[in-house]
Amino acid sequence: MTQKQENLSAFVDGEVQDENIVSSLVDDAEMAEKWQRYHLIRQGLRKELPKQANFDVSGAIASALESEPTILAPRKTWRDAPIVSNVIPLVRSGGQLAIAASVAVAMVIGVQKLNQEEQQIFNPAPAVVPGIQGGLSPVSLEQTQPLPRTDVREQQRRISAYLNDHRKQVLLKDSQRFLPTGESTDEVDAAGSELGQERENFPE
Amino acid sequence: MRISLSNSLSIAIRVLIIVVCSLNFTQIQAQTDLSQTSLTPTEGANAWLAKLASAKNNLNYQISFVVMKPGIEAQPFVWRHGISPDGVELEQLDELNGPGREVIRIGNKVSYFESDRPPYSLASGYINGPLPNVLLADPLSLTDAYQFALVGRSRVSGKVAHQIRVVSKDKNRYRFNLWLDQKTGLPLKINMVDLEGQTIEQIQVTDLSVTEEPDPYLIKLLSTSLPDIVQLPPKAEIEQRWQLDFLPEGMKQINHDVRRLPVEGGLVEYVMLSDGLVDVSVYLQQAFSNAAQNEILGRIGSEIYLTRQQGNVLVTVIGKLPAKTANAIASSLTRTIP
Repeated sequence: MTQKQENLSAFVDGEVQDENIVSSLVDDAEMAEKWQRYHLIRQGLRKELPKQANFDVSGAIASALESEPTILAPRKTWRDAPIVSNVIPLVRSGGQLAIAASVAVAMVIGVQKLNQEEQQIFNPAPAVVPGIQGGLSPVSLEQTQPLPRTDVREQQRRISAYLNDHRKQVLLKDSQRFLPTGESTDEVDAAGSELGQERENFPE
Repeated sequence: MRISLSNSLSIAIRVLIIVVCSLNFTQIQAQTDLSQTSLTPTEGANAWLAKLASAKNNLNYQISFVVMKPGIEAQPFVWRHGISPDGVELEQLDELNGPGREVIRIGNKVSYFESDRPPYSLASGYINGPLPNVLLADPLSLTDAYQFALVGRSRVSGKVAHQIRVVSKDKNRYRFNLWLDQKTGLPLKINMVDLEGQTIEQIQVTDLSVTEEPDPYLIKLLSTSLPDIVQLPPKAEIEQRWQLDFLPEGMKQINHDVRRLPVEGGLVEYVMLSDGLVDVSVYLQQAFSNAAQNEILGRIGSEIYLTRQQGNVLVTVIGKLPAKTANAIASSLTRTIP
């Protein structure tokens, strides 16, 4: 038994001392539980615990729910909770949005962090002397003007939306050349005509 | 007297060192015909870049490298490349920290495996990642926009490396410094340097090995089932009624369309500019009434983000290029059809 635990511990650390360790993890519920706990302990020791620590309390909750005398909500157990099944597959037509959405979160965090440290991300660009092209000096701290909080938030949203789109375009840049064209989508056409009208006001 | 003696001694030692070094140097030069002194810096660079492209596209190798950008933690990667027995290019790029991201290329199909979404494939000839693909795979296609010069040798990742400087012809894009392994021609270090000489992105190779046969992992990929290629919706053909009068030398418009972004005002007109090495996105959007929203300049990692107002239109420029150049592009917007 101790030998087994030692093997398991080694396996958690990425070493395989016993070829049968994987099958014993699958077959032996006790071992599987240990496997999970070892990882948790390791993460704890390394201060890598996720913010919402995912302790496996599902078993406890399930039994608690089953013995729960009063049912407050419609009869629905935790098993019915829509978690994984509702994730939209990326490869569907809306899939590209999935790329954008997840990067968006990462970028906002990144930008906020930069903002705290350098304060330069959200500064308005200094006014450019008319007639001199390219006269904008690279990001200058002297030009700092405090912006209202709501403006900053709106700017963050806009910056991350544009950045995500930029990355997506770079990712797909080459791809478009390889693919056959299919049927036109309504949304794009609608967007086109709508913009056509708006464009009447474009630069004087 | 003592001082002058020790001085002359140290001079003698230095001379000796220089003589030994140059002897060593001529020996190495004799080994590789690419270092011939008869070549100009440009010819020398071109010869090395041809060797790089051939090595990058045809050899079986495994390269470990680290990517560093300002304000972002170093990211380690493993990059494998091989040629299958049938002559198909196999490539894998694996991000090693955190949940990671693995990308696999078999010929013209690239499959992305990321922790936060289902895997997908794109039709593409290269992996979209931290490596400047065109610079490595087809550097001589960049000669419209960039000049190359062989500047010397140094030691990188424990190997003898030849340094090549990549400078845009009009000097308004970032410079690249490239160190290539003398033995194989493969990259050992790639620096992106801004106009002030600051390194703003660095790819440092920590381990490089070239093998006779492709890595068994790559061969195993051939029998793995990979996700289907994503079918992209076609772009709407829309007349472009404006143009950018200023584009950096060798940079061209390669894409134009209209789409909706999750931002206030939503609808944007989009243009992608590229010189082959640097991709720049330009967005046009109606200006807001709130002037504070109309002028933004910032840098995120090694990318510049600039928004400025031109008439009643907001122009946003994003890409790895100097703020000065981004501003020159944005302010050159003119209407072509009245």
